Amino acid sequence: MSEFAVVVSGLGKRYRIGRKASGSLRESIVNAFRRSDKEITDFWALKDVSFNLEQGRVLGMIGKNGAGKSTLLKTLSRITWPTSGRIEINGRVSSLLEVGTGFHPELTGRENVFLNGTILGMSRREVRSKFDEIVDFSGIERFIDTPVKRYSSGMYVRLAFAVAAHLDPEILIIDEVLAVGDADFQKKCLGKMSSVAGEGRTVIFVSHNMSAVSSLCDTALHLEKGRIRTIGPVDEVIRQYMKGDSLHEGAGKDWLTHPPVQQDEKVRLMSAGIRTPEGTPVSDIRVNQPFDIVFRYQILGKDCRPVPNIHLFTSRGEKAFGSVDTNRSLQCEPGIYTAGVRIPENFLNEDTYTVGFALSTLNPVIVHASDYEAFSFEVLDDLDAITRNEYKGRFDGVIRPLLQWKTQKTGDL
Amino acid sequence: MFKKCEICNVRDAHAMSKTIIDSTGKGLQFQSLKELYLYRDLFLTLAYREFRIRYAQTFLGFLWAGLQPLVTLVIFAIVFGRALQVDTSGVPYPVFALAGMSAWMYFSFVVSTSGKSLITDQAMISKIYFPRIITPLSKALVGLIDFAITFILLILFMIWYGVSPSPHMVWLPVFLLMALLASLTFGIWVSALSVRYRDIQHIIPFMVQVGLYATPVAYPSSLIPEKYQLAYFLINPMAGVIEGFRWSIIGQGEVQPLMFYSFGLIALLFILGLLYFKKVERTMADIL
Repeated sequence: MSEFAVVVSGLGKRYRIGRKASGSLRESIVNAFRRSDKEITDFWALKDVSFNLEQGRVLGMIGKNGAGKSTLLKTLSRITWPTSGRIEINGRVSSLLEVGTGFHPELTGRENVFLNGTILGMSRREVRSKFDEIVDFSGIERFIDTPVKRYSSGMYVRLAFAVAAHLDPEILIIDEVLAVGDADFQKKCLGKMSSVAGEGRTVIFVSHNMSAVSSLCDTALHLEKGRIRTIGPVDEVIRQYMKGDSLHEGAGKDWLTHPPVQQDEKVRLMSAGIRTPEGTPVSDIRVNQPFDIVFRYQILGKDCRPVPNIHLFTSRGEKAFGSVDTNRSLQCEPGIYTAGVRIPENFLNEDTYTVGFALSTLNPVIVHASDYEAFSFEVLDDLDAITRNEYKGRFDGVIRPLLQWKTQKTGDL
Repeated sequence: MFKKCEICNVRDAHAMSKTIIDSTGKGLQFQSLKELYLYRDLFLTLAYREFRIRYAQTFLGFLWAGLQPLVTLVIFAIVFGRALQVDTSGVPYPVFALAGMSAWMYFSFVVSTSGKSLITDQAMISKIYFPRIITPLSKALVGLIDFAITFILLILFMIWYGVSPSPHMVWLPVFLLMALLASLTFGIWVSALSVRYRDIQHIIPFMVQVGLYATPVAYPSSLIPEKYQLAYFLINPMAGVIEGFRWSIIGQGEVQPLMFYSFGLIALLFILGLLYFKKVERTMADIL
């Protein structure tokens, strides 16, 4: 038996982006007559990825959103097929890209344990022999014969994770499924995971959570734009990854070379970007750091008084908020203007946000120029963020503000 | 101590497992059958899930499975039995129709459920690997439950009308197998095609409805003029299966060579379907 658990060589995955990808019968027929190949562009989500992973190693995969982590994970789990290259896997694999795959709301907890277990590759006999342990781990014995649709989301996740935790693979592939559940339960899961790693099994783990990666993994792989940037001892790779961040060119937009979609003759958008409070251009920021969104434009006409405003959208396209300059006596003579708006620390949640800009006269409303998809930047989580207290899990929601709390004992029992 | 050992055993059983994923596609071909066997429990669980969900929270539960053929039967008896007076060579019309319906309803159930199975289970398919073919295959098992209910209904009608079963009954399993194969053939094709062409989903209910009248379910195939019989059996492989059902259960009609055209066609389409499915399987998670 080979000493390598995973051997990846020259792996590449190409996605075709374009109209054709949506695929319906009508489109296929239409395309057969009209060679519309030029509308299709190739996008390599992974390119020339090669690495070996020794048995018993715990590998952490890190990289920004869109670096190819999920694609690599899906290729390793055989969910998608590579376009080029080869993977050799020695041993029984279990991959957990989400917890509770295949759970059906109409079925009871018991039925779902069997369903989920067999989907994850266990035999019914295996599930049966571990059933009591699984139920015990989940801590929801009382509801095991209740349809899952009546569960709270916490119970659902507990049960789902309990099944996953009792898999017995030689190679375990995990996406950020740990980022669920309450703190106690997470500790239990992290414990279970390190015991899996301790038993000499090979683990591949993807996470944004650097402290989890550094505490669980011995090796790390840093992906950037579909290629391996570095692979090696975990601390070294993380250090490089963090350092690499600040060296990055800042996110931004230059409208002089890429004019906005809408702009009238009275104004001209110039550029925009985000900066640290010290003025360094960056493309990402931590949740507990303040930053500025800076916006430059020209006023050409004399008779208008455009007010700069920004609009933030989450990665799912929801609007997070809009904000206009609150100064009621803005200047309006022709010239170059720079608008900056400070986004406080502990306000936005972890996400990739898209910034939109507009210059508008407010009363009556006339939009002189706008670009609602100027550029994107990332807000990265920080385990030490004050808004977390001791919670280590994932925060939902568009914003994660630091609010004033006052909790005190107000009486005796 | 005992527990620990048990875990070791499980691990040892799989210790030799080795997976090769090659973009050129070599190395996985012959693994597929072995893999299907390894995933046999998933096949059963998926079938069980489908079965449970269908009657979950319904008041009549199982009765629905019997009600549907009964209602269709009443309509057929009125239209074909009474109004059109089709020639069933002396067999009471309800028995005649039910014998055909048992196979047809199985077919239409399996084709429509397995045809859309990949789309229904797309969340699962994009999150975990398992041999995708299990999804449409498992529906063939679920369909057997409904088939059994229709079949019991048929037996009750036979007792009621005093129709004695034909000695050809021993051949019924063969025709049942053909029905299963025909249903899966269509199911696999439809499911694989609908991954790329969602339009197929809309064609299926329509096809099943037209098929009911284009197949000798409510009438005997002898009603079709001689010169069209070849085309009839070739275009519609289920025609041979239904005739075979009726022949083996109530001895009505005869085994015609034309049936074997139907069966040959089914076998060919089945193998082609499997190959096509295998081809689509790789890109499934990307397209769905």
